[in-house]
Amino acid sequence: MMIIDVDRPLRIVIGEDDVLLREGIARILADAGMDVVARCGDADEMLSKALDYLPDVLVADVQMPPCKEDDGLRAALELRSREPGVGVLILSQFCEPDFVMDLVGQRPEGVGYLLKERVGDIDVFVDAITRVAAGGSALDPQVVGRMLGRGGQSGPLRLLTPRERAVLAAMAEGKSNLGVAQSLFTSQASVEKHVTAIFRKLGIAPAETDHRRVQAVLAYLRADDHR
Amino acid sequence: MNGDQDPVRLPEPAGHAVPDGAVPSDPAAVELAARGASAAEARARLVASRARIVASGDEARRRLQRDVHDGPQQRLVHAVIALKMARNTVERGSEAAELVEEALANVERATSELRDIVHGILPRSLGYGGLSTGMRSLVADVSLPVDVRVVTPRLPTAVETTAYVVVAEAMTNAVKHSRAQMVYLDVGIEGETLVVEIRDDGVGGAESGIGTGVIGLFDRVDAAGGSLTVVSPPGQGTTVRAELPVRPGEG
Repeated sequence: MMIIDVDRPLRIVIGEDDVLLREGIARILADAGMDVVARCGDADEMLSKALDYLPDVLVADVQMPPCKEDDGLRAALELRSREPGVGVLILSQFCEPDFVMDLVGQRPEGVGYLLKERVGDIDVFVDAITRVAAGGSALDPQVVGRMLGRGGQSGPLRLLTPRERAVLAAMAEGKSNLGVAQSLFTSQASVEKHVTAIFRKLGIAPAETDHRRVQAVLAYLRADDHR
Repeated sequence: MNGDQDPVRLPEPAGHAVPDGAVPSDPAAVELAARGASAAEARARLVASRARIVASGDEARRRLQRDVHDGPQQRLVHAVIALKMARNTVERGSEAAELVEEALANVERATSELRDIVHGILPRSLGYGGLSTGMRSLVADVSLPVDVRVVTPRLPTAVETTAYVVVAEAMTNAVKHSRAQMVYLDVGIEGETLVVEIRDDGVGGAESGIGTGVIGLFDRVDAAGGSLTVVSPPGQGTTVRAELPVRPGEG
């Protein structure tokens, strides 16, 4: 797990073949006080620079040259397996929960997946990078919503109240209790009560850390059979 | 399958059966054998060309997705980002702020709708993770509860795509017409065959009045060297079953 020295700027490598977007992201992060150590336009270069620089976070697009299939995602997965200490934030045009599940794998630590347009919500984007750098997770609310939609009609997810579903979604995005409380405009105590109820209704064992919690929720959402 | 109901099946082409190893002894028999052989060749060429047509259609769709991703979708993402940043710079409550808000709402919707359309054509997760992820992706968008059982390794693209298209069409019909409470999706391998079965507990009666979507499925599955059956007795739900050779070209 990364230990963040608040005096040291976060070091970032960017992999994005859309030049305008790449420069835009670099500017947003520099304005936020981060140090963009490398910018790459293809997946192979991106992987090799990331392995050289060992940044706090690699920000990568899914679809990149050379093949323009999912080269960026594969390079990010490769990096994750070789250097678990480096955080990875994927920016994607695809709202595909399966990409997220593969990325998270067994470890939700230091992983993020955002839809590209989220870059324009500067506070959200910068917060996501900071969370991922600190070893937390940051999953896009729209993708989480899609994951929740899967279990929506059948199974124990039906038993959740709308409020509880909102809390579950926020948890799956990687937010802490405080973060959940802030995004739902409620108190932390209220969130804690909801979390307890949710875990009980879904039959998930209570988790000690935020990371374990995201892992438990995603594992639950990943399972096909909830009858 | 209920033995009383005849499954709807495409007729086998009429042909002359030539016994293996037969040695024709008169000119008429030789002529017959030659015609049988060339009929078999013609059929093989036809099957191959149909498979090519289907494959080129799929390839065109993939190209479309890529073009949309690289072109309009990318531009819309830029527009969303620029408008969000503009939102921070315009004076709150001003007319400019209102216009930016309106533009942003429309562009965000366009991005989301375009993404859904592209996803509906062929989801990325199908090419990326095969049938198990592709099916999960599809089922996520179905408004009925679906019991999903998918047990299959990665298969050739043509096979996975055909299976996907069959399930997508069957699901659409189940949602639109069946009035079902539950849909059961089973995908698995039996020997050298991929078996795909979609069953609902709805009103049945689909055998009379099969829509153009399902007719297209028959063509497509046939072109893949497989078979498609629809069993739908009135009042007893509908079962769509496709069997596809795991190795196309050997069906």
